[in-house]
Amino acid sequence: MNLSEIRLHTPQTLNEALELSVKIKEACFLAGGTDLLVDIKQGLLAAKDIISLQEIKELKGIKKKNKEIRLGALVTPNDILSDSLINRYIPALADAARSMASTQIRAVATIGGNISSAVPSADLPPPLIAAEASVKLQGLESSRKVSLSEFFRGPRETACKTGELLTFILIPLLPPGTGISYLKFTLREANALAVASVASRVTLKDGKINRAAIVLGAVAPTPIMALRASEFLINREPSQSTFEKAALLAKEEGEPISDIRGSIWYRKELISVLTRRTLSEALERAQRKNRKEK
Amino acid sequence: MKHNKERYRLIVLKVNGEEHSVAVKDGETLLDVLRDKLRLTGTKKGCNLGVCGACTVIIDGEPKNSCLLLAASCEGTEITTIEGIASQGELHPVQQAFIYHGAVQCGFCTPGMILSVVALIKDNPNPTEAEIKEALDGNLCRCTGYADIIEAVKNWKKYLNKKEPPSSSYDLNKFSTVGKSQPRVDAAAKVTGHAKFTADYNFNNMLYGKILHSPISHGRIKMIDTSKAETLPGVKLILTGKNMPDITYGVSPARYDEHVLAKDRVRYVGDEVAAVIAVDEDTAERALGLIQVEYEELPAVFNPIEALKKDAPRLHEKYKNNINTKVDHHFGDVEKGFAEADFIREEEFVGNHVYQNPIEPHASIAYWENDGLTLVLYSSTQVPHYVHYMVARVLDIPLGKIRIIRPPVGGGFGGKAETTPLDLITAIASKKTGRPVKMVYSRKEMFLHGRGRHKQYMKFKMGVKKDGRITAFKSQIYLDGGAYSSFGVITAYYAGSMIPTLYFIPNYLYEGFRIMTNKPACGAMRGHGTPQPRFAFESLLSMIADDLGIDPIEIRLRNAMDPNTRTCNDLDVRSCEFKATLDEVKKKSRWKQKYGKLQPGKGIGIGCGGFVSGAGYAIYRGQVQRSSEKKRETFVKKSEFPHSNAIVKISEDGTAAVLLIQAAEIGQGSSTVLSQMCAEALGISLYRVRIRTEDSDISPLDLGAYSSRTTLMGGNAVVMASKDVIGKLFTSVSRVWNCNPQDLEARENQIFLKSDKSKNMAWEEAARKYFNDQGPLVGTGWYKPPEGLGGDYKGAAVGTSPAYSYGSSVCECCVDLETGKVKIKKFTDFHDCGTPINPQAVHGQVKGAIVMGAGETIMEDVLYDEKGNILNPNLHDYLLMTIKDSPEIFSGIVESYEPEGPYGAKEIGEGAILPVLAAVAHAIANATGVWIKELPITPEKILKALKKKF
Repeated sequence: MNLSEIRLHTPQTLNEALELSVKIKEACFLAGGTDLLVDIKQGLLAAKDIISLQEIKELKGIKKKNKEIRLGALVTPNDILSDSLINRYIPALADAARSMASTQIRAVATIGGNISSAVPSADLPPPLIAAEASVKLQGLESSRKVSLSEFFRGPRETACKTGELLTFILIPLLPPGTGISYLKFTLREANALAVASVASRVTLKDGKINRAAIVLGAVAPTPIMALRASEFLINREPSQSTFEKAALLAKEEGEPISDIRGSIWYRKELISVLTRRTLSEALERAQRKNRKEK
Repeated sequence: MKHNKERYRLIVLKVNGEEHSVAVKDGETLLDVLRDKLRLTGTKKGCNLGVCGACTVIIDGEPKNSCLLLAASCEGTEITTIEGIASQGELHPVQQAFIYHGAVQCGFCTPGMILSVVALIKDNPNPTEAEIKEALDGNLCRCTGYADIIEAVKNWKKYLNKKEPPSSSYDLNKFSTVGKSQPRVDAAAKVTGHAKFTADYNFNNMLYGKILHSPISHGRIKMIDTSKAETLPGVKLILTGKNMPDITYGVSPARYDEHVLAKDRVRYVGDEVAAVIAVDEDTAERALGLIQVEYEELPAVFNPIEALKKDAPRLHEKYKNNINTKVDHHFGDVEKGFAEADFIREEEFVGNHVYQNPIEPHASIAYWENDGLTLVLYSSTQVPHYVHYMVARVLDIPLGKIRIIRPPVGGGFGGKAETTPLDLITAIASKKTGRPVKMVYSRKEMFLHGRGRHKQYMKFKMGVKKDGRITAFKSQIYLDGGAYSSFGVITAYYAGSMIPTLYFIPNYLYEGFRIMTNKPACGAMRGHGTPQPRFAFESLLSMIADDLGIDPIEIRLRNAMDPNTRTCNDLDVRSCEFKATLDEVKKKSRWKQKYGKLQPGKGIGIGCGGFVSGAGYAIYRGQVQRSSEKKRETFVKKSEFPHSNAIVKISEDGTAAVLLIQAAEIGQGSSTVLSQMCAEALGISLYRVRIRTEDSDISPLDLGAYSSRTTLMGGNAVVMASKDVIGKLFTSVSRVWNCNPQDLEARENQIFLKSDKSKNMAWEEAARKYFNDQGPLVGTGWYKPPEGLGGDYKGAAVGTSPAYSYGSSVCECCVDLETGKVKIKKFTDFHDCGTPINPQAVHGQVKGAIVMGAGETIMEDVLYDEKGNILNPNLHDYLLMTIKDSPEIFSGIVESYEPEGPYGAKEIGEGAILPVLAAVAHAIANATGVWIKELPITPEKILKALKKKF
């Protein structure tokens, strides 16, 4: 539980940061620090060298370019929830950002950190996965784009290799008639981790569900896609009974553990309720969008 | 020094518009730099993990947790701390709004809270309630229940130009100062960050200490090797059990069973094994890691029912079968009572292990003055006198050689009601090193030190007549005590003794067992031992009401206590307006229109409770004296010495009254109500009274803030001391005016003839004259509880009090029937607290108790793994209600007058929590159709019960 021994490095550019991370193999990146510093203070992580990304301007900001929204890794939940692009194109991400921790943390935490920490209960990944977002992993020599659904490998384990840094999050513009909804279940109204969370997405075409995704959070080692439940919805007309059935399928796809926040049984019950509710809200959003676009 | 060059960097921080160049280590947080290097101690350290928000500062317009920012990365930003909010000596309107709306209690969360508000209103001067809650969702408050904070923010603009307080509709007009919602006397210091809590003090050449805690739940210490740790540069002293006195300490004199540091045995994960004193906290902490301890592990037991079994591991040789305390109380004849009953119901209930979690961590600083003859001990404690007594015992020096200083305390709730290892280790280490020594608990250490609420396993049986009148009640309670006695003997008695104060119970039986387990010791938390039995009793009563088809409020009215009654267990009730509280909550909550008539998922419930206004007897027997000098005392039914004492000293120019009393201000507002009573009795304005409570060298003994005693006991002492002054003053004036002292009256800073008000003199003029002729004008007063309190059976002393409070609460909630999630919507509460000395302060206690109690009912619980490690020793995982969880609250006061209390007053602080748990449980049962009898009533338990039922 001792921060006093760390060495802080403050590169001014992305390149400098990457060079440092190659030079100091054991170094950790610090974005907002709301996870990292807490872990070090609690003795969960023994980090000696810390590379702060906070000076790197290129990693800030939310932009729309071509058919994508691009978020820099240093974008904070406050940036997200107040951003007009996000609220217009993917309000579920703003909802997820608003549901995070507390005002003070939302001002400091970052989307890059929230994803890279790879905590199973993280709030931003489920709606991002539902939106088919990908992340850009930048190395000194090369960079690659990885779909977020393939990014998580386990609790606190990701596809990001040593020497690589998650620099951008890319969200494709959603086809017309698409709605996404995110709900999390918590034991109190603020400053609380999800006991279970679900992001659902439906895209309507000719009155039927053309594409669907149900992403479950906090009920598996990583956020996971409830594939059978999602597939079940394809080509069906949206209705409460359809959603009910999808919810029951999703419930079976979760692989939760029991811990102080909830048992396996309870988390499964939550998945089914949250799935049904997010599907309903996603549908409403999809229909509203359809109406607007018509 | 190459080494240092690497470790430090020089940075410039711009704080409150002023630039400071400061050398920092890379890993230093902004919080530590502000507090330790810039001495801006208005920024508080509450959890150090970014949850409580006490460390909030504004960085470039946004509120952030300074404990999660590295100082080195804050260069180039504009930092605003609480010290930068007031300007040119003028308070910011938000600060004024906090003062006048009662948004400040202990004041520890206040600076962070105010900064979050200031940041909010800058962009949004007219925030909605939802926006206020959003903006403050990262600032935890344990005292106020948030309601008055929300009011303050809603009204902040009223203070842009004017400073008059809003008139309060609750104020009484019977008196001048008493009965009025005066702003707290310490509020201005708390909203500006000037109030210095114990950890805010720094002394020259000071050292810092840290404790090594046992990592195992039960074992013998085979060997401790401190040699490596001793060689770490900066380490000054290492203490282990070997260097410690052989004297044990604790709370109950019959069960002093703790050593300052473990002698040879550890009994829970967290037991104190060694302490390191070093030049700074980091060094001390690093040295802890270098101490090697070899343990022989012993089998451990974590459940009280298991601990009772024959072959269970024994924690202490002297407690057979791990039974620390056994209570066997039988009044009347329960078998006869059950035979007379028309209906009997029996239920089992289980409580939870709740931890007080004041936002301010425990802290102590000790040094020796007067050529090393006198110990000066700063302690964040509710009970400076008991700390005084216990430190004298362990150090084996007279109490007169110790000076206890109790700075403002950032909340206690019973968690700071006993001497801590910090008090004793700093005292011993400062003697050995000859330097001041400071020690502060981390949040995790607070959980390890424990002293939270006992988890109780309760088996209750109640018999009633057809009309609902109780004929018999029988209870069996097992209390999970943890590894040491602490307050537990008293807790076990309280668990049974307070039940008969609310209702007539002709035949009553209580069997209680406090059991030792390998966990942190449990102690006295708000309501001491009684909230869980009260929850169970009230729940059972509501179940029976439904069984019999009697309205739950009606069944209470039929059994309710009357004034001037002796209870079945020999407690003397004087004032009692319990029935009025029931009538009022029934009306105000529109109970009749709601109970049994709400849609599924919506519920309403009632709970009642009350408490002592100060314990009838002190915790230790005999006189104020070093314990080793005392003979074994037998219990006599009278107090040897006064429990509260006061001195009123008038300034030589007559314009100020200095009130000296050691009463512990821990946020509950005691300094304010005592000052009000002093002003009232003297006939002067409140602003002319200055209260000094902190220093035992200056202020006479008061037993402290426990058993809800200060308003009644401290108040009586203050009124007596003030009347002593008035008596002297009137005698002096009567000589000049040639009249009888009885003909005079003092009011509104004037002394006048009762018969002719035109014959008057300015109060200060009279006081100056007294000083000219007779020297210092000083009055003294004291209070001893009435003699002969309580019956003649074993344990009869527990539960005795000069007066009892009463209250009723109605809770309304919504339950999501698909997930079990509860939203507490609204509380309606009426209390009989006698005369409210300060109505706003009374409502503040009630609102705080409601949110604490509601959180305790649905979300709070200290959890352990199978090895005795606490799974949630932090504010992330141990859930306190946030502002978003807090309900709307109406708090009302019924008219009542307590003859034993000053101006008719009695307690509110602890009694206010007692109705809450059952009201919530009942509302949930009413909403769902299922009774959950095990606390906390989590969504998972509710859903499980719902699935089982339907």
